[in-house]
Amino acid sequence: MSTTAATAPKKNSLVDRVGARLLVDPTLGVLALLILICLVSAFTLPVFLEPSNLYNLLNTSLVVMILAMGMTVVLISGGIDLSIGTTMALCAGVAATSMKFGLPLFAALIAALATGALVGIGNGLLITRLGLPDFIATLAMLGFASGILYIWTKGVPIIGYMVPEFYVIGGLTPLLASLTLPMIIALLVALVLGGVLGSTRLGTYFFAVGSSKTGAMQSGIRVDRIRTQAYIVSGLSAAVAGIIMAGRNTNVPADLGNGYEIQAIAAAVIGGAALSGGRGRILGAILGAITLAATVNLINLVGVPSSYQKIVIGAILILAVLANRISAIVSGIVRQRRALVLEGIPA
Amino acid sequence: MNFQRTASRILSVNGVPIAIALVIVVIIFQIMSPVFLTPGSVRDYINNAIPILLLTVGVAIVIVAGGIDLSVGTVAGLSAGTTMWTLVNGAPTLVAVLTGVGTGLVFGLFNGLMITRFGINDFIVTLATLNIAGGLLIVLTEQVPLQGVTTPGFSDIVYGNVFGIPSAFWIAAIIFVLMQFFLVKTVFGRRIFAIGIAPSAANVAGVNVERVRLGTFVLSGVLAGAAGVLLASRLGSVQAFLGSGYEFIAIAGAVLGGVSLAGGRGSVWAAVAGGLMLATLQQGLRLNGVDPVYFSIVTGLCIVAGVVFDRRIQQLALSGIRKRRRTGSAPPPPDTSQEAHLLRTGKQD
Repeated sequence: MSTTAATAPKKNSLVDRVGARLLVDPTLGVLALLILICLVSAFTLPVFLEPSNLYNLLNTSLVVMILAMGMTVVLISGGIDLSIGTTMALCAGVAATSMKFGLPLFAALIAALATGALVGIGNGLLITRLGLPDFIATLAMLGFASGILYIWTKGVPIIGYMVPEFYVIGGLTPLLASLTLPMIIALLVALVLGGVLGSTRLGTYFFAVGSSKTGAMQSGIRVDRIRTQAYIVSGLSAAVAGIIMAGRNTNVPADLGNGYEIQAIAAAVIGGAALSGGRGRILGAILGAITLAATVNLINLVGVPSSYQKIVIGAILILAVLANRISAIVSGIVRQRRALVLEGIPA
Repeated sequence: MNFQRTASRILSVNGVPIAIALVIVVIIFQIMSPVFLTPGSVRDYINNAIPILLLTVGVAIVIVAGGIDLSVGTVAGLSAGTTMWTLVNGAPTLVAVLTGVGTGLVFGLFNGLMITRFGINDFIVTLATLNIAGGLLIVLTEQVPLQGVTTPGFSDIVYGNVFGIPSAFWIAAIIFVLMQFFLVKTVFGRRIFAIGIAPSAANVAGVNVERVRLGTFVLSGVLAGAAGVLLASRLGSVQAFLGSGYEFIAIAGAVLGGVSLAGGRGSVWAAVAGGLMLATLQQGLRLNGVDPVYFSIVTGLCIVAGVVFDRRIQQLALSGIRKRRRTGSAPPPPDTSQEAHLLRTGKQD
């Protein structure tokens, strides 16, 4: 048995092993895709690799990145949050209006974060107490939130709240040289969420609930509470993204968040989060958001009009889910083969 | 006691509660503003609602089979766009109608194939096609202005008059009757219910589950295409964002009518009644001077109300069965918590 186990890996060539690893680990797959995009564009579109373009690209991807990280947590716990974009707009509106009422900056930020958390609790209650399917509950929440925002703004963008600090929050005024505050915020969110998912009990519970609700429940996890907490995380991430958007956009129109939910889902799925729950990574969401931004940036540079953007993002979402499924199938086969090898049966 | 049982039995018939609620709401609105029930007003607002009613029926069929279709709104918008586009390019009415319905068919087929062949979640595929169809309509409207069509016969699709009733009513009525017949009286229709209640049981019983699911998405796509043609005919011009948000109203209408999101329960009449309820609420709010933006909140509330009501009805039916089984002893209150549901059925949602 030991001889088989020792000799079996040698049969696979290096290329085979690297290829299998790429397909098994979605994060590496995304990284490979990103490098491929860079290599191809290096030869065909040198503009893409210019530092200023890459810098802009990173800056524009930050909002979607933060949303995608929150979405990843929800996807890991087996849910989906269609309301994340509208929640972002609502929180941006809350922050902006609080500033207009003359509240101090930190109070406005806390109000926005509280709004995000409240929307998350609302989603969680709709899903766990009323038993609505996740996407219906969050779709209804999308309707509520956008309705509230339209009633509140009466269709006129909220303006006149921009204090100098907001320019810093939005990344319009850099902190140090070319380092902007949103970059640091995104990094912090990534560290916090990565830490929670990787090394806390709550993180393990998210994965457990997403992998099997029945199994999690039978091992004594309060499934409903964990699911609600996942939505609170996505609501909070929407609030953080909303605060940045309020600063970057310098006004808050009622349709600020339209289309962000699909970008967040696409970025999370590109990064390897499984829609069936139990799989996902914060690093994947970050790379996914950058890949999405890079793709949109590339097609803009090629000269495709921006009206095609929605079509491209829709197509990317489908391709990402397809790639994800293939990766899941391949990793299943690889795992099966390894198990066979360990048992001494030639694959 | 007897009355209670009869009442609960009548109420658990799909579509009856919403029909009663609809009558009550109409009476309330009539009292609030006497112009509500004038023939012209009723004709106009139902005429406006017909495309969304078609979408509601399409979504209802998909939901009965245990799926969801988020793309119907923008697909209807795109179908309206392609219909107008063929007319602008000088095609006769029949070709335009076929193009519009064909657009819906293509999207339905794409949704269905992606879901059944590649095993992707239905709401992700239809969320993606929602964006793709919406984006295609934006691109299409940028090519040529989709308006100013004078092709003979095209506006008659909606505004024509047959026996004193607008032709859109006839078209919708025929489609609804056909769909209800199809759902209730054909093998394929019964299979839609079967896979909605228990896909694995249906599979064991010899139903090709994937093919039936594909069929529901194609049907929903075709209905969205037909809705698009009616929209184009009524409006006479197509704007870039036509149809976006309609999926929300359609799902709300279906759920409000009593189509169960868990699958397996629903009818065309229930969906139509739910859709009419939303249209009536919209019209009533408008006549009473309420800002139209409140309608989005009302729609969201209707989804929640519909789901809560559906659960109540199911509990009622369940407790009725229990009562009959153990005669004499009072049934324990049904434990509706998620944990209990999971323990009882072992089913993940």
